[in-house]
Amino acid sequence: MVREFELPDVGEGVAEGELLRWQVEPGDSVSEDQPVAEVETDKAVVDVPSPVDGVVEELRAAEGEIVPVGDVIIVFRVEGEDEPDGTETAPTDDTTADSGHQTDEEAPTQPAEDAQSEPAVTQRVQVAAPPSVRRLARELGVDISSIADSSLGRITESDVRAHANTDSHSSSQEQSNQQTAAAERQKQQATSTQSVSSVQARETADRETTVAVPKTRHVAAKEGIDLDTVPTDERKDGEPFVTLETVQEYAEAQQQAQKTDREAVAERAAADEPARPESRKPYKGIRQTIGSAMTSSKYTAPHVTHQDEVDVTALVDARSTLRQEAEEHDIRLTYMPFVMKACAAALQENPQVNISLDEANEEIVEKQYYNIGVATATDDGLLVPVVEDVDAKGLLEVASETNEKTQRARERSLSPEEMRGGTFTISNIGGIGGEYGTPIINQPESAILALGEIKKKPRVVEADGEETIEPRHVMTLSLSFDHRVLDGADAARFTNSVQKYLRNPNLLLLE
Amino acid sequence: MVVGDVTTSTDVLVIGAGPGGYVAAIRAAQLDLDVTLVEKGEYGGACLNRGCIPSKALLNGSELASEAGQAEELGIYADPTVALDEMMSWKDGIVDQLTSGIEQLCTAAGVNLMKGTAEFAAENKIRIVHQGEGQGSESLKFENCIIATGSRPIEIPEFDFDDERIVSSDGALNFETVPDELVIVGAGYIGMELATVYSRLGSDVSVIEMLEQVLPSYEGDIASVVRKRAERFGVDFHFGYTADRWAASDGKAVLTAVPADEAAHDSEIELTADRILVAVGRRPVTETLGIEAAGVETDAQGFIPTDSRCRTNKEHIFAVGDVAGEPMLAHKGSKEGEVAAEVIAGEPAAVDYRALPAAVFTDPEIGTVGLTEDEATNEGVTPVTGEFQFQASGRALTANRTEGFVRIVAAKETERVIGAQIVGPEASELIAEIAAMIEMGAKLQDIGSTVHTHPTLSEAVMEAAQNARGKAIHRQN
Repeated sequence: MVREFELPDVGEGVAEGELLRWQVEPGDSVSEDQPVAEVETDKAVVDVPSPVDGVVEELRAAEGEIVPVGDVIIVFRVEGEDEPDGTETAPTDDTTADSGHQTDEEAPTQPAEDAQSEPAVTQRVQVAAPPSVRRLARELGVDISSIADSSLGRITESDVRAHANTDSHSSSQEQSNQQTAAAERQKQQATSTQSVSSVQARETADRETTVAVPKTRHVAAKEGIDLDTVPTDERKDGEPFVTLETVQEYAEAQQQAQKTDREAVAERAAADEPARPESRKPYKGIRQTIGSAMTSSKYTAPHVTHQDEVDVTALVDARSTLRQEAEEHDIRLTYMPFVMKACAAALQENPQVNISLDEANEEIVEKQYYNIGVATATDDGLLVPVVEDVDAKGLLEVASETNEKTQRARERSLSPEEMRGGTFTISNIGGIGGEYGTPIINQPESAILALGEIKKKPRVVEADGEETIEPRHVMTLSLSFDHRVLDGADAARFTNSVQKYLRNPNLLLLE
Repeated sequence: MVVGDVTTSTDVLVIGAGPGGYVAAIRAAQLDLDVTLVEKGEYGGACLNRGCIPSKALLNGSELASEAGQAEELGIYADPTVALDEMMSWKDGIVDQLTSGIEQLCTAAGVNLMKGTAEFAAENKIRIVHQGEGQGSESLKFENCIIATGSRPIEIPEFDFDDERIVSSDGALNFETVPDELVIVGAGYIGMELATVYSRLGSDVSVIEMLEQVLPSYEGDIASVVRKRAERFGVDFHFGYTADRWAASDGKAVLTAVPADEAAHDSEIELTADRILVAVGRRPVTETLGIEAAGVETDAQGFIPTDSRCRTNKEHIFAVGDVAGEPMLAHKGSKEGEVAAEVIAGEPAAVDYRALPAAVFTDPEIGTVGLTEDEATNEGVTPVTGEFQFQASGRALTANRTEGFVRIVAAKETERVIGAQIVGPEASELIAEIAAMIEMGAKLQDIGSTVHTHPTLSEAVMEAAQNARGKAIHRQN
């Protein structure tokens, strides 16, 4: 008859072991107690003895495989015994209650996933540990269901710590799977790219959590690097820890790899141009109107973009103070009205910017009114509602009118008149991303200001003669101007004025 | 998308200021993250404004009224008059106090509060649309987002909520007068809690339920204790019917219910009502979020699937509370909110409920935690149970509340406590002891050997644990 032999509990409370080496092959005759396999647990390497005299029929586990206790690893044929109804499970000394219910079909094919699903139930019902101990286990990266609980008692803090210490290269299923996956990736990388740096030659990780300081996170985010994939041997509070240097090194390696990939792809593409999925839609309507206005502006006015940044920390404070007040008037106060007021004031200080070029009559028109347009992206394209006489209106009035007009722009219920007569336009590129841009002048105006996102950045702050580095709210400014009628110095002076008001919004009170 | 406004950015954007969202926001702020909390309505969400708090206020008010009126046995003769509008303003006062408290707590923790409806514009960008004509919108970039938009009552065909005749639980918590005749569609916990409130206040309450028992998610012997008590208050039950349509007639509504299974009942029934409360369940609020713009997946019911760290399919977007799936419990949302905030801050947190208690505030109350006997069996654990009836409790007798029982479930092999079901007076409070015991990995003996105060209802918990070991004193084992 056939005897299936399950991996016995090879050490007290051990849940699984790595099958290091088979000492027999199918067809070998074995006698009872003869070692058939070497199994390494987290505690020791042990010999697994044969329970019977017989012939090895089948090996059900591969060398190097992690086998849960209770899984069938070997099948023997025992001479001279009857075979009543198929196979029979050979009882082992330490057969657990759980292993008893495996059916013949299940047992041989039961893969690692099945073994993994077991802890879910165990977690809920069988592993007894107070919440503080479960938290500690997570902190130390220990799978609590893998901790021996042979006494049917409660797992304590010291059990978890002991497990974490003796088992820093934990043999839990999950981790070994990760290692296998990482090794696999490493192999793939090695074959796909020849020029690999030292970092890349190391395995790519795939962790669930990674500890890093915020700056590292920021750099990683900027580089598009997932911290959980950055290889590291360092640990902090039991969790994998990644330094800024590692991330930068890794990013470089990745870029190198991607470049190589791109080159390879480009080569293939050049060799053979296949049909690609694409679709077409008509270029018409508002999209086309915007298109021709932009083309005409770009190619009639020589665009030059002046770029700078401004510390708006005081503005952020002022806005948050005033917001409450504005809400009482049912007005939503954003940053835009402040910028509009600042631009109107700056235009008054720098009248050379508030102009247009009348080419037909060969005249430069200097305007004494300050109508500010706000570029608004809609589902159909860019529209520019204009708020008139911004210099003469209060902040709340500007806010309310801007809110109302941008809203109607989105709904496409803005009349063409409401988009005309502007003397200066403000656009916002921060909404989509990026620091600086080259906005195209909304003609017949002669300058346009694009705002970047307000971001916290480290800046040197001088107070009482002492310099410190502090996190400050910083906004970038990109001013495109028509170089036919304005010079770089005009643009710089105007930008300086805008900065002055944004840096110190109290000055707007004087306007 | 509007670029008419300067985009600002935040580390953590929390959408929804209910018990999941505001807890997440405060916890994240405590962990030194820059947090923005967006709420389109009132702070506190459904729990504070339309759920737990107002319903418990009304349950307490109605209990006082009913007990005062039915205490002849104790030698008390009273005929209380209920001014429902006053009870409602008392309730509203509590709600106001709590909601403004939440606003203060958030502000004190350094959370940026924003009013408006959030719509995803991209994977890490949200547009916040302000209420009111011409209020415009603004955009916000975020590194991480916690979706805590909660749930809303389900409407059924032919019964659109109109806040007049047809009301949801929201409406039923704001009646100006006690309806003479109230028909409730659905005998789940919301329907049964409100049946309790209005039957105690004197309404003639009828309940239509498609299935054959009240509180279908609870075991039969628990549900029947609640049903019997409700029947004593005069609640009529019509099991095996579904509400089909209604029509106005003589200033009332006439509801027609049809048999859910024609083999069981062969004819329609008609019920007249001043108000019809539809309480057939709640569904997650995900459809207004523009969630597809962020690439977050939902399941067939609109719930957002999450892992044990409250992460959605997007690494940096989390979902907590009702929107993340059943059970819809405020304390589940709060716990998840904390976990999501901690995960974002890089802490090794995970949702780890081996013991998620739940309470139903019917008369009598139900408190449950962990596994039932059947669930334990299904998980491959042989259960052993112990019970104790409140009838044998001195404290229950002196409170004149003897219905119900405590049942404790343990794993037979280890005697470890894995669940409990309590139906009876103060069940919602008593369940807390067992939740703590399960969390700490207690055995039956740990509860049995803990000295319990006499005379209290908690002695019933001790006796039930001892009963499971065959060692109860005040009952036959």
